Amino acid sequence: MSQESSHQRPDFGRETALRGPFVFFFVAALVWLLAASALGLIAALKLWMPSFLNCEWLTYGRVTVVQKNLFIYGWATNALLAVNLWLLSRLTSFEFRNGWIAVFGGLVWNATLIYGVQQIFAGFLNGFSLLEMPREVGPVLAIAFLLAGFWPVVAFARRPSGHTFAAQWYVVGASFLFPIFYLIAQLLVLWCPASGVVQALVASWFVQNLLQLWLAASALGIAYYFIPKVLERPLAGYYLATVGFWTFFLFAGWTAPATLLGSPIPVWIQSVGVVAMVMSIVPIIITAINFHGTFAQNGGWANAWNSTSLRWVALGTISFTFVGLLRAIFYTRGYSAIIRFTEFYQGLDHLLVYGFVTMVIFGAAYFILPRVTGALWPSVKLIHVHFWSVTLALIVSTLVSLYGGYQTGLDLSKGAPQMIGGGKAHVLTAAAFLLGHAAFALNALGLIFRGLTSAENRQHD
Amino acid sequence: MKNLNLFLIGLFAAVAFPFGALIVSSQVQLGALGRAPAEEGGPLFPPREPGLAIQGRAVYLQLGCVACHTQQVRPAGMGSDIARGWGARPSVARDYVLQSQVLIGDHRFGPDLANVGARLTEAQLHEHLRAPSSVVAGSAMPAYEYLYQPKANGWAPTDRAVALVAYLKSLRQDYASPEAKLKQ
Amino acid sequence: MNDRHRQPDRQRSEGTSDGRLVEIHAQIAREKEEPREGFSLTPIFIVFLFCGFGFWAGLYLTRNSGDFSASAFDLDVPKASASAGPAVFEPDAAKGEKLFVANCAACHQATGLGMPGAFPPLAGSPWVAGTDERMIKIILVGLAGEVEVKGAKFNGNMPNIGAGLKDAQIAHIATYVRSAWGNQGEPVMDTKVAEVRKALAGHGQFSPQEILKAHPLEAK
Repeated sequence: MSQESSHQRPDFGRETALRGPFVFFFVAALVWLLAASALGLIAALKLWMPSFLNCEWLTYGRVTVVQKNLFIYGWATNALLAVNLWLLSRLTSFEFRNGWIAVFGGLVWNATLIYGVQQIFAGFLNGFSLLEMPREVGPVLAIAFLLAGFWPVVAFARRPSGHTFAAQWYVVGASFLFPIFYLIAQLLVLWCPASGVVQALVASWFVQNLLQLWLAASALGIAYYFIPKVLERPLAGYYLATVGFWTFFLFAGWTAPATLLGSPIPVWIQSVGVVAMVMSIVPIIITAINFHGTFAQNGGWANAWNSTSLRWVALGTISFTFVGLLRAIFYTRGYSAIIRFTEFYQGLDHLLVYGFVTMVIFGAAYFILPRVTGALWPSVKLIHVHFWSVTLALIVSTLVSLYGGYQTGLDLSKGAPQMIGGGKAHVLTAAAFLLGHAAFALNALGLIFRGLTSAENRQHD
Repeated sequence: MKNLNLFLIGLFAAVAFPFGALIVSSQVQLGALGRAPAEEGGPLFPPREPGLAIQGRAVYLQLGCVACHTQQVRPAGMGSDIARGWGARPSVARDYVLQSQVLIGDHRFGPDLANVGARLTEAQLHEHLRAPSSVVAGSAMPAYEYLYQPKANGWAPTDRAVALVAYLKSLRQDYASPEAKLKQ
Repeated sequence: MNDRHRQPDRQRSEGTSDGRLVEIHAQIAREKEEPREGFSLTPIFIVFLFCGFGFWAGLYLTRNSGDFSASAFDLDVPKASASAGPAVFEPDAAKGEKLFVANCAACHQATGLGMPGAFPPLAGSPWVAGTDERMIKIILVGLAGEVEVKGAKFNGNMPNIGAGLKDAQIAHIATYVRSAWGNQGEPVMDTKVAEVRKALAGHGQFSPQEILKAHPLEAK
């Protein structure tokens, strides 16, 4: 019992030890988030008005590639590195002494990212989604990730008690697997390329692993932590979480060929992908029982809505359930024949990466940042601006992509002459995203600044 | 989950199983694929890319064309690609065996380019690259004016434009392949 | 800071402590491992779901696997094998040229001009113009005797080159000869070659008189 009572005391010592790395990664994430949103707005404007900023450096094919890479490797990965580190340190009572190693890894990661993005703008890019940065970037990023992002695995291995919790499994799994599949993909696509279309298969396998086993798995861990934590009650149907965890991890890698339906890869591989995509409903149902079941008890939804942080997590988990079901339905042959290559599947990816992962990160940030820095959020108004602009933009852009993509597919199958872009709607939502992110960044940077100055004051006293 | 080693082995399986079953096995099935004649004694397909086309492929990559254009024709039952004239037959793995980086793409804001060399002439391609909206009204494609230099009566393509068009002209899937017959 | 009361996370309690969180959930998971009276329906539902999915997956894969073949890229043609030829024969002069160089150019020369006094020319020759049957017959079984081509006499002996070639290959060669060096004949189909070959079964080398009687040279 003595051990338990020590847990109940807020342990500020551990929080301040984490402050340096957490603040470093989060500030880097914020900078990339702003850059990616600005590029998102530029890309949307360029699709609407092709003559906008028409020069070689800012041609659409480069802007949109940089935007996607910055959003995933800049914003989401930096933020998840920060949150995963914080989460595992808390859950395993890990005393994180080697903050400088993580910060060094983070410096390497972000410096490499700057180099990679600069190379893309200069015209040195590859043709595979999320593997566009020149190939020399790959090994450096993998080493940087090991330095910065492997600490959850270390913390888990050194935990004092035998008890484990679903949040730990997901975060440890994500941190352990990212370097493995990232290096394999780099090797087989860029360093010694596999033969012909096998490259495309490797690239799609990598994208599915990146989206599901790194981004979504980390975010699932965060959701598994914050929902019972903030609602102060155990998760509903938690005994199913083990099955949910293993089915999620073991099915994710198999789903990739379903994104290649109709491509020149053997038909049996495509069929395996469809089967895996449909089977992925099992972990979707189990996480839905765990999350939504908990919210549904005793006014949990209302509590979540009233909590600045849990509100985001609740919306994120809804997106996750929704996108999981949509993927199982629409990554099948009949639908793929109509909507493949349209905006539809981009809308689904956006719903996963933004609607789930990014929303959960926002929730975690609203919870963690005040605790790590010991300061309050400077402006409540900015919190509201952030929430409403981002949520509305997400809903509108998802609906536009899904509906517009489906319509485009139908028109094309009826023989329409050309493709139709999202047009004005995407310009508006990109502007709303940028506004929300600017509000969030302003607020968060103000809070961090306050926290750091007050900490200095404390030291001077 | 309590046994760390077992836990990590299980996680590793999440990467290793699909990798082995999907990627290693497809490399075994398709890795040795080479050029082949559509019938005995006939010429080998796919044809080798001319040197200028290889330079043009680099320009294609540099300008980020992959973001909006695919290079794969789906079978008749999987979409309207063949019906709308983007190809004479479905693409098959053999069509890509000579390409160092396969640019099949995964998104279309514009038409598929797998067979564009058979559809458009060099002059049409130059015109489309320089001023897309003069060819397709309301085209979302940016004008690649910086690939052209004005001259007395019109425009002169730069070396990069010439190479890019040579590459686009080399994109043809209008030959019969052992795995895919030509549309009747 | 009059906003302070609106910052719920900061003002409310910390929530469940982390150690307690792990403890509670580890306990829930443990309890379920031991059989208890209160039986929940959810695990049974999950088991049924799994069985259903497994059954469907097996069915789907057996129906849509294309026999796990490396050359099946489309559900509609699962049996496509590497030896199957194209559906429609297209006479191809490019293929014909290669075959011509390999099989015919030793005598008729790659230029199609032949050798004066020894081998008759094909370029501009009325023998390869007009009907394609005359030409196919000569390729298939050969021609022996004195012939006159473009005003010059040749006493040649052409063997039955075509006996060792396939119908499609002969069609390619004939198409090439009829389109090269300024010749302007119609392409030749493989079905035509097959027809002629069948009719000529057992026939020896033609004499010039016999072939010209069956297919007189057309006037230009």
